[in-house]
Amino acid sequence: MEISNERRGRSISRGRTPTRYGYTPPRAQRRHRETVKECCKKIITFMCTQVGVGALLIGYTVIGALVFTHLEKRGKNIESSEVETYRNATVKKLFQVVMKHNILNREGFKVDANKVLKLHQSHVTQIFKHGYDERTVDEIWTFPAALMFCLSIITMVGYGNMVPKTNEGKILTMVYAIFGLPLYILYFKNMGTIFAGCFKWIYRRIYECSTEKEGNRKKIIVPSTACLWVIFAYILTGAIMFSEWEHWDFLDSTYFCITSLCKIGFGDLVPGADVNASNHGNQTKIVINFLYMLLGLGLIAMCYNLMREETRVKLNEMNEDFNQCLEDTKIRFMACCRKHKQNNRQYEGY
Amino acid sequence: MDRRRSMRRSGRRYRRPWLKKCKEYMRNFIAFLFSNVGIIGLVIGYTIAGSFMIQALERGKPIPVQSQAMGNRTLFAKKLWNLTMELNANVKLQEKEYRAAVDIKLVEFQKIFVNLTRRGYDGSDDANGFKSWSFAGAFLYCLTVITTIGYGNIWAHTPQGKIASIVYAIIGMPLFLLYLSNIGDVMAKSFKWIYANFCLCRWCPGVAKRRAERRIQRDQQMEDNDSNQNTDSSSGSTNVSIKMANMNSRPSVVSEGPTLFSDESYDVESVNVPITVCLMIMVGYICGGAILFFRWEFDSGWTFLDASYFCFISLSTIGFGDFVPGDKIYGQVEFDEILELKFVFCSMYLMLGMALIAMCFNLMQEEVINKIRNSIRTVKYIFRCR
Repeated sequence: MEISNERRGRSISRGRTPTRYGYTPPRAQRRHRETVKECCKKIITFMCTQVGVGALLIGYTVIGALVFTHLEKRGKNIESSEVETYRNATVKKLFQVVMKHNILNREGFKVDANKVLKLHQSHVTQIFKHGYDERTVDEIWTFPAALMFCLSIITMVGYGNMVPKTNEGKILTMVYAIFGLPLYILYFKNMGTIFAGCFKWIYRRIYECSTEKEGNRKKIIVPSTACLWVIFAYILTGAIMFSEWEHWDFLDSTYFCITSLCKIGFGDLVPGADVNASNHGNQTKIVINFLYMLLGLGLIAMCYNLMREETRVKLNEMNEDFNQCLEDTKIRFMACCRKHKQNNRQYEGY
Repeated sequence: MDRRRSMRRSGRRYRRPWLKKCKEYMRNFIAFLFSNVGIIGLVIGYTIAGSFMIQALERGKPIPVQSQAMGNRTLFAKKLWNLTMELNANVKLQEKEYRAAVDIKLVEFQKIFVNLTRRGYDGSDDANGFKSWSFAGAFLYCLTVITTIGYGNIWAHTPQGKIASIVYAIIGMPLFLLYLSNIGDVMAKSFKWIYANFCLCRWCPGVAKRRAERRIQRDQQMEDNDSNQNTDSSSGSTNVSIKMANMNSRPSVVSEGPTLFSDESYDVESVNVPITVCLMIMVGYICGGAILFFRWEFDSGWTFLDASYFCFISLSTIGFGDFVPGDKIYGQVEFDEILELKFVFCSMYLMLGMALIAMCFNLMQEEVINKIRNSIRTVKYIFRCR
């Protein structure tokens, strides 16, 4: 009964507009509720579609970074103590070498010292492969670095210059990836549409300005070469930027940019991973790399979107052309055949 | 006149089928290449070609980091010599003092050395990269490039190698995506068939019939219940209740329709593999891989957690590269054949695993879309009802 009453009330209010100004309390309440509902709906759609996803992604990485720094800083520096023991052993061996060559045989000392050093090196390399970094845990897991680490998980880049060493950290990495990957994919798709819209608008404006033709309003499609140029320019700026900061070769920094944006992420070259450089400079580099990656992946999504659209249109056109061509040839063929038959008949007649 | 014409006609008649046949063959061939078996061959061939290419480019070329590390070591030996001389000149050599001095020097040495290691030095004196670019290693490298895993345990050092790997990646990634979508589709279809025929026991004689009967009974019961409830609750508005009944029966008919009417001619397409099964498959694959790698890499100190972590990180194409099978210090490895075998097996595991995950995603997507559609229908119905 209530339902039908409400429905009737709604239909009345819709039918007669003047009654809207009569402020009866239940209706006002209802309106209030509706506005709240509307607001909620708007917020949810905003969160799921527009900038909200970007904010969600950044929030997720920030939370992840906080958790990871907390977890990993609790882990002990097992590796560094191990390295210390190795170093002590090496020192002892060196002393033995010195005692052996106490008559100071220079060449012999050199050879033996080299051997000992090599042994030390191979030990340290082995530990390094398991993640030793010549820095303490507190130095490695700074906040920007952890941010970059989280981003490298959820974007599937995986540089591998810093990895979780504690067991909890490893488990958390897996869980984090499971929830992060869909979020990232959502971000990728959304950013693709937004950027594609913006880029299309800009392109259209430029196109209209340059041609100055009015009336001829057909749908403008951004050619894929434009997208490629944008990506190319982005990679070029990144390459120049990183080569300036990190004193890499130009080729190296280009290689870094491309492998990062393709999500391969070898991790042989990572900005802000230099041990000898100052820690503060490294942090800014890492933050800038973070922003570069975030924007670059969005740009790639944009290009993907635009190029897909273009290829779809082109495929359609091609299909139509092909069909027309087929039809044409068919008609021509038929005509030819008919002519032939006629000719034959004529010949037969002769 | 007549003769020439006939000759031309005959010539045309003979040429046309041949051309057509040729075209047909070509089309078939291309279709085959881009279909199921062909694409596997294409991907494997591409990877093998890439590994030969990268081997030719990288093997035997001096690695600058390696020679730098060696130079660094001799420099430090010299420094140590100088230090020893100094300490020896002043007083008689005392162990404690000497140790402290050497320790400081060694820390310095270590720092430089760690930096070199990060740039690709692997602890061996093999300055030409003969060991690290064995065929299996190059194969794994190429696979990690095109799957965008990128472990980073080995990488190209020369400029030519870098350019080649960029180009290789740009061509290879779409190819691999094609492989994934294709194989995922095929595997999803075949898995669905297997699931429909074996797990649901369609082939067992009595089961299908009994199940269908039970379902019909259940449906009837539900409908009865619904109609009873409706008549009880909304006694005044019969109109609504009829609508409710209609709506309730509609989705059930839609979902059960094919199973009701076709006990023998059962449609495989309509089977939905539940999400839990897909998840089980993925977890099982990861666990299986973890057990295997745990057994293999027991010597190099992997725990079970490490192994499963490696499997997950690899299959999700993150690829940190902190754990890679067969990635010990190259100077210490003596059994190269085992190493090669490990590399090959690892690449096999990756290729199969990614296809499997693509399959699972395919199935899960279908299921989720189905569920969302159902829930949207119910939500729509609820709103309309009010």
